[in-house]
Amino acid sequence: MTGMRPAERRSTKKGGAADELGPNSEIGRKLKQYYDELVSDEVPDRIMDLLKQLEASEALKTDRTRDGK
Amino acid sequence: MSSSSFREELVATIPSLRAFAISLAQNNDRADDLVQETLVKAWDKQSSFQMGTNLKAWLFTILRNEFYSQMRKRGREVQDSDGLLTASVAIHPDQQGSVDLKDFRKALELLPEDQREAIVLIGASGFSYEEAAEICGCAIGTIKSRVSRARTRLQEILGIEGDGDYGPDAISAQVLGSTAA
Repeated sequence: MTGMRPAERRSTKKGGAADELGPNSEIGRKLKQYYDELVSDEVPDRIMDLLKQLEASEALKTDRTRDGK
Repeated sequence: MSSSSFREELVATIPSLRAFAISLAQNNDRADDLVQETLVKAWDKQSSFQMGTNLKAWLFTILRNEFYSQMRKRGREVQDSDGLLTASVAIHPDQQGSVDLKDFRKALELLPEDQREAIVLIGASGFSYEEAAEICGCAIGTIKSRVSRARTRLQEILGIEGDGDYGPDAISAQVLGSTAA
């Protein structure tokens, strides 16, 4: 869309997530900083280990099915 | 969805899922327990997951349900934002007016769960109001009002004057924000 005037732009931001928590909002910026820091944490081993276990148990199930047990 | 791409997407979502869990539980160990429970449930229900739908939202929904069901089991009343006293804590921004991340975290912890999850889902996890409403099992309008109350509350706690949404830089910031997003 071209030629959108600022006033229209302002009205379209209503309802979008950016309206209250956009880059111009201190709260919005802090919230993202807070969250991004958590996201960049290394995922603990116990979570990745669990995933491996889940896969292993599924592989086992598949094998059993194939063996007709 | 094939099993391997399901797994790939699952793995890719874990960091964000875990961040959401920490923001809900406010305790890393409990959050990791929640993520584990969620992964087990998601794995079991894998076949019921509708291909082409939003796996991330699905996982967040499972985790959130798990969180609230654990809270109920512990006999803890789910906080009702309307019944909560306005916390008046002395957190003040430094002289430059910028808020320390530690203070922000403290302020976030003071919010009732329903407001905290709403503002995190919308402002940080990248969900739309529609998706957040689905995750929380409530109306879109409810999410909007929770986000708005959360934001106001955080501003009060942190002593931030109303953000300059209508200031002279608002429009250029939006433009920059929309291209960056």
